[in-house]
Amino acid sequence: MREATSARVAHLVREQGYNAFVITGGLDAWRKDGGATEIVPEDDLVLLPTFN
Amino acid sequence: MESILALTARHGYSIVFLAVLAESLSLPIPAALAMIAGGALAASGMLNIGWVLAVCVIAMILADSLIYYFGRTMGWWLLALLCKVSLNPETCVLRSAESFYKRGRTTLVIAKFIPGVATMAAPLAGSMKMRPGQFLIYDLAGAFLYAFVYTGLGYVFHNFLSVMVHGFEAAGHLAVLVTAIAVVVYFGYRIRIYLKNRIYREVPRAAIEELRRKLDSGDGSVMLVDVRSHGYYDAGASRILGSIRLEPNSLAEKLHDLPKDREIYLYCT
Repeated sequence: MREATSARVAHLVREQGYNAFVITGGLDAWRKDGGATEIVPEDDLVLLPTFN
Repeated sequence: MESILALTARHGYSIVFLAVLAESLSLPIPAALAMIAGGALAASGMLNIGWVLAVCVIAMILADSLIYYFGRTMGWWLLALLCKVSLNPETCVLRSAESFYKRGRTTLVIAKFIPGVATMAAPLAGSMKMRPGQFLIYDLAGAFLYAFVYTGLGYVFHNFLSVMVHGFEAAGHLAVLVTAIAVVVYFGYRIRIYLKNRIYREVPRAAIEELRRKLDSGDGSVMLVDVRSHGYYDAGASRILGSIRLEPNSLAEKLHDLPKDREIYLYCT
């Protein structure tokens, strides 16, 4: 299923009383439509372990 | 499998090289049998055991280095792609990385004997920026061990080659059976998840145009939330301008950060 994660999270969020929607096509559709993006701030990055 | 033996007898080193190279590139080729055949042919004087070993090791190092390079240059993308077939793609990357970090060096040495692990080891080493020299040392050790065991078996037991081939055939049939059962179980699990997820189809969707109209209205009622698991591992990753991140695996702790008086638009890849 497309948007599997966002649909699952939106469902759980809606169950808690939030007004949540899923963006059809996700980030790919947004990019294809020429939508503006930003670089993820370093604080938000998940640093997986590396051998460096 | 007999055909690999016949091919090895006819083409010698080249077929051993190609079989080992193909298997190292994750193609379903029984390289072990080609190495055994190479060892047996060496014992009977048709090939040189040193060259058979060298050909096997070179093929493995070439293929592994290529995959390692892809992992190193593509970051976590390659691993995320491999993880798509796992039972839990959302945690696969994180768990694989943590596990490889703890046991990576040992894993590289023994990975070739374990189906599945062999596929993941080189891209993990690349994605996790293992130094090329270090990777080569451990991969060389693993390649030599793998080649030594199988060519050695062929060399020592060359008089029992037909027995070994039949043994491999029996093991091959068993492996096919186990694989078939695993595939059935996997698809059964996927179908169960699919049926369980039907409820998620009822969540309202918003098209990009509709979202743009709301954003352009500028009333501040829209909140954009990125719920991707895989999008945050590489520096330089991008997301929709103005969105915030909500880690789907820690939803319960983060839920209270969301406002109830705004429309929340979630997206993944």
